[in-house]
Amino acid sequence: MTDWVYACAASDIDQEDLIRWDYHGKSYAIYNTERGFFATDGMCTHEAQHLEDGLVTGMVIECPLHQGRFDILTGKALSAPVCVDLQTYPVKVEAGRIYVKI
Amino acid sequence: MTSEYVATNAASSGISVDRKKLKSLGRRSDRPGLVWLAKWAVLMTAGVLAVHFTWGTPWAVLSMGFYAFVLTVPAYALSHETAHGTAFRTRWLNELMLWVSSFLYFGEPYHRRYAHTSHHTKTWHVGDDAQMPFDTPMTFGGWLSEQSGLLLFWYEGKIIVAHAFGIVGSEARRYTPEGEIRRLILGARLFLVGYVLVGAAIAAGQTWLLIYFVIPRVLGGPAMQFFTTIQHAELQENDPSIVKSTRSFAPSALNRFLYMNMNNHIEHHLYPQIPFYSLPDLHDVVKDQLPAPDPGLIRTNLELLGVVIRRSLGRNTKAPTIRQAPHMITSGGFEPIARASMR
Ligand code: FES
Repeated sequence: MTDWVYACAASDIDQEDLIRWDYHGKSYAIYNTERGFFATDGMCTHEAQHLEDGLVTGMVIECPLHQGRFDILTGKALSAPVCVDLQTYPVKVEAGRIYVKI
Repeated sequence: MTSEYVATNAASSGISVDRKKLKSLGRRSDRPGLVWLAKWAVLMTAGVLAVHFTWGTPWAVLSMGFYAFVLTVPAYALSHETAHGTAFRTRWLNELMLWVSSFLYFGEPYHRRYAHTSHHTKTWHVGDDAQMPFDTPMTFGGWLSEQSGLLLFWYEGKIIVAHAFGIVGSEARRYTPEGEIRRLILGARLFLVGYVLVGAAIAAGQTWLLIYFVIPRVLGGPAMQFFTTIQHAELQENDPSIVKSTRSFAPSALNRFLYMNMNNHIEHHLYPQIPFYSLPDLHDVVKDQLPAPDPGLIRTNLELLGVVIRRSLGRNTKAPTIRQAPHMITSGGFEPIARASMR
């Protein structure tokens, strides 16, 4: 059973950046990119490092600990040391409010 | 991991930087890396020409020393920076340079990258950090073998040969994701073939490879060690704080260039996502939260040498100025803490 959950205001996230969003004991990352807003799991798939301090470049998020990179749109692991894809979640923006389907 | 997972970085060290500032420091560009490469090429060309025109004369000792220095230190530094993926914005350029510099440095790139992740996850933690190159506290014997640069050939060479034959030990499996083991093997095979070809070419009379690659790389080993040995020597093992485990120092402009600003080593471990060209700016931003850098390359190494000699003689091990963890300073005798993980 998935549902749309209000996460934050669109204005909370700078352009080409992300924020951490914790919900029901799980942590997510919500991105503001050149192609809109997206959401993925918050934790890197390599080790137990949160992506919140990572660097967003275009549609790529780079993990701050070992610089593994993921495609924000698909969650695909792009470069070592990450090799397991990141879970992604649908996002919608209504009246400046961001909802994530989880 | 032998201990609870707390990655060693800025958060575990109690250091913070404004998020916007950090983001701007982390921005990637190809330009600084290309400019660095062009300058390195100029130095290398100068070295090659100097060796060429002095070969057979006593001046060759000097020119070879210069060439060995400008070949080996940057090869190490570029291999390290590209292993992080931070040298260039363009990914293929970063990876190409990783392979080229790692071949010069003598370390298979995939293994180099994965082993280095453990060095950042648990910096200077015994049993977790796969890149602790010497026993701690360091003795004169340990310094001598480390400083020769030869142990690195033994360690990396062993890995290349074993992995090339499909033998991947438990240590490498600890820090390499299961699905990537085949890459370690592939990389090692390519490197083994590469080095065998170099050897075969030399045996077949291509002596220029000996003069411009093998000899300067071996001679450059000790020079490179002057930069790398002091990164963590005499500092605190098994501590979440990078400030306690790691040393920054203040070398000359030439050495900062050759080492790609990695003299800002505390800063690099706090925020490994910051590319080499932004490390001086990062230093300016965090310097009020950090101890002052130790002195220059020669002074810091000389003080370290004095300490390890006195330790081996059972004398007082207090260094004149460089930072030391409290347990490194004794008036004689010491408790062994770490066994080198690179053997
Ligand atoms: S924890 Fe993210 S790349 Fe290693």
